Amino acid sequence: MLEFRDLYRSFGDVIALDGLSFTVAPGELCGFLGPNGAGKTTAMRCAVGVIQPDGGSITWQDGPIDLRVRRRTGYMPEERGLYPKMRVHEQLVYLGRLHEMATADAAASASHWIDRLGLGDRSDSPVEELSLGNQQRVQLAASLVHDPELLVLDEPFSGLDPIATDVMSDVLLERARAGVAVMFSSHQLDLVEDLCETVAVISKGRLVLGGNVAELKASRGRRLRIEVDGGTAWSQRIGVDAEVVSVDEVGATVLLPPGADAAPVLDIAQQQGRLLDVHLEQPRLSELFRNAVGTTEDTLGDEFQRRSEVR
Amino acid sequence: MSAVRTVMLIAGREVRQRLRSKLFIWTTVLISVLMVGASLIPTIVSVFSIDDEVVDREPLTVAVVGDLDDARTDALEAQLGPVDFDPVADTQAASELLTDPDSSVFLAIIDGREVLVVEETGPFVGPNRGRALSIAEALAVVDLLETAGASEIVEQVLTVEPLPVQVVGADDPEEEFAGILVANIGVVFIFGLLMFYASMIVNGIIEEKGSRVVELLVEAVPVKQLMSGKVLGMGLIAIGQATVMFVPAATVLVVVNRDLIPAGVGRLAVMTVVWFLLGYAFYSLLCAGLGSLVSRPEEAQAVLTPATMLALAGYFIGFASIQAPDATWSVVAGWLPPTAPFVMLVRQAVGDPSLFEVLGSMVLLLLAIVGAALAAARIYEGGILRVGARVKMREAWKSRAL
Ligand SMILES: Nc1ncnc2c1ncn2[C@@H]1O[C@H](COP(=O)(O)OP(=O)(O)OP(=O)(O)O)[C@@H](O)[C@H]1O
Ligand SMILES: [Mg+2]
Repeated sequence: MLEFRDLYRSFGDVIALDGLSFTVAPGELCGFLGPNGAGKTTAMRCAVGVIQPDGGSITWQDGPIDLRVRRRTGYMPEERGLYPKMRVHEQLVYLGRLHEMATADAAASASHWIDRLGLGDRSDSPVEELSLGNQQRVQLAASLVHDPELLVLDEPFSGLDPIATDVMSDVLLERARAGVAVMFSSHQLDLVEDLCETVAVISKGRLVLGGNVAELKASRGRRLRIEVDGGTAWSQRIGVDAEVVSVDEVGATVLLPPGADAAPVLDIAQQQGRLLDVHLEQPRLSELFRNAVGTTEDTLGDEFQRRSEVR
Repeated sequence: MSAVRTVMLIAGREVRQRLRSKLFIWTTVLISVLMVGASLIPTIVSVFSIDDEVVDREPLTVAVVGDLDDARTDALEAQLGPVDFDPVADTQAASELLTDPDSSVFLAIIDGREVLVVEETGPFVGPNRGRALSIAEALAVVDLLETAGASEIVEQVLTVEPLPVQVVGADDPEEEFAGILVANIGVVFIFGLLMFYASMIVNGIIEEKGSRVVELLVEAVPVKQLMSGKVLGMGLIAIGQATVMFVPAATVLVVVNRDLIPAGVGRLAVMTVVWFLLGYAFYSLLCAGLGSLVSRPEEAQAVLTPATMLALAGYFIGFASIQAPDATWSVVAGWLPPTAPFVMLVRQAVGDPSLFEVLGSMVLLLLAIVGAALAAARIYEGGILRVGARVKMREAWKSRAL
């Protein structure tokens, strides 16, 4: 298990990580979410040893993440980077060997991933001659070539076309099913919602929401949308165990707490008039995210300022 | 995987990438060919100068007034080789012939007892006057021997082998010449190659930093090994390239023109290589550390200034100490690690350092190399991951990994 425990890290006055704790188990595909500047990249760089935390610990299978573990880890940095003039296959073999592979194994694995990621015809091209999306595929191959048991990918989906997105999704799922602990950061909440079993949402350097996506949604309750003949006055009469989320001319949306029965609310609405439309739905991940992170003007302005200081 | 294997892997990539560059290969080969050509120049020149001598040996014409007996003819031929004789009436006619610009006669002998030679103009005494003198001397010897009744040994006297000559004392001119030669070439050679390969290392570091691949590397490779691999790789390239450039030419020199190599050059050439390698280790480590502070090639020049200044100081002091290799300041500069590779080589070539000084200065430089490696590794750790604006040395020193 990959475990972040009470992680702290600051850059000058900026506190990037502020007591971050969460875990990713082998076989788990974990979406790592958070607004810009939340500390995702910082946390991942700490995990692969590129930077050192100021406090707290990160462990893999209860041991420290030393060089031996890092060589069993696949990493995709946020700022993509490969040798521009080195050829694709040669580069992957080199990176595989740096991760302790024998040359022949590295060559076979490089060929495998080049084919799997649809780069077959670019095998001998210098990386700089590839399109950005294809460079990104090579970057993924670079993180996979040594068959890691832990994958740490920083925004692997950014800049990919829909087909490449599907390929990336398939590969991540397949790796997770093969028992690899996979964590990746992303801002594409819908994609994460479809793909990941678990998520960790951080804000201002600490975990604000984490766990199994289905459970998180269930714990948030369900939304009930009702439209009846005769207006929305009924929405003022519902009891304390349901909360009105929104009201418009034709109907109202009510949030039912986890486990609550929809029938009493429906009864009240039906007293107003004939039912025109009803649906019961789970909250979207994006809703959970916004709720957990709390997008106030204040935090956004704060972040803009911090970002511009860094640039 | 052992640290050694990792370092070798990184060094290996460095070498392979360089060998892939056509420009690199062709410049190396071209320089090698030019060097071989240069080392053949003395041979070519000597081939032509042999031709000159053959031309010289065409019979010279000497005007003769009166009789020239066999002994005197022999004496003349012993000095000049085969000679054509042009009998003339008197001294007046002989000197007219000598001063006539169209005639090839340059010497006249009057009755076997007087020698006339034409006046040569120009800053130096020409060959004719010298020849005339030696002929006059030979004729005088013949006279003397005849008077002493020893005509039968005239021939032996004229063709006698000189006794062997041995040059004694410390200042064997040939060795001194070799020293000055090696000192001059060595200082330029060391400085040029040091700067060249150090800047190649820095370019490689900036490439890794600029392309951000370094973040992928430090995940799998300890930063110190990454840096060592680069320095080692470039060192191997330097040795390989220098071998290709200089060894064929040196071989040609040794095989074809052995006599042209002054005594003592071999030992000094080896010392040049030794001092180059030590200097390379010191300066390339310094440059690797400094280079990790910047992300763009345009900034490389500025960030390397401290190292460049040190090397320049070594270069100039090295040159200056050719004139005063054993002066106090030369001795001091020979001990100081940044200047030692230049100055100590010069002192060994043209001065007289004790074995203690040479070995001591090497040990000091080795210690400085260890120090440079530690300092460079620390700066490198602090600088290599900070892409963007130039990192301040003090920050890099303090911050280690970011
Ligand atoms: N090298 C650095 N120097 C100074 N500040 C930094 C550095 N790296 C990160 N920070 C700061 O730490 C905070 C967290 O940044 P981080 O890059 O981890 O955020 P993130 O969650 O990855 O954001 P994004 O979604 O925009 O990639 C930010 O305020 C950022 O400005
Ligand atoms: Mg980020």
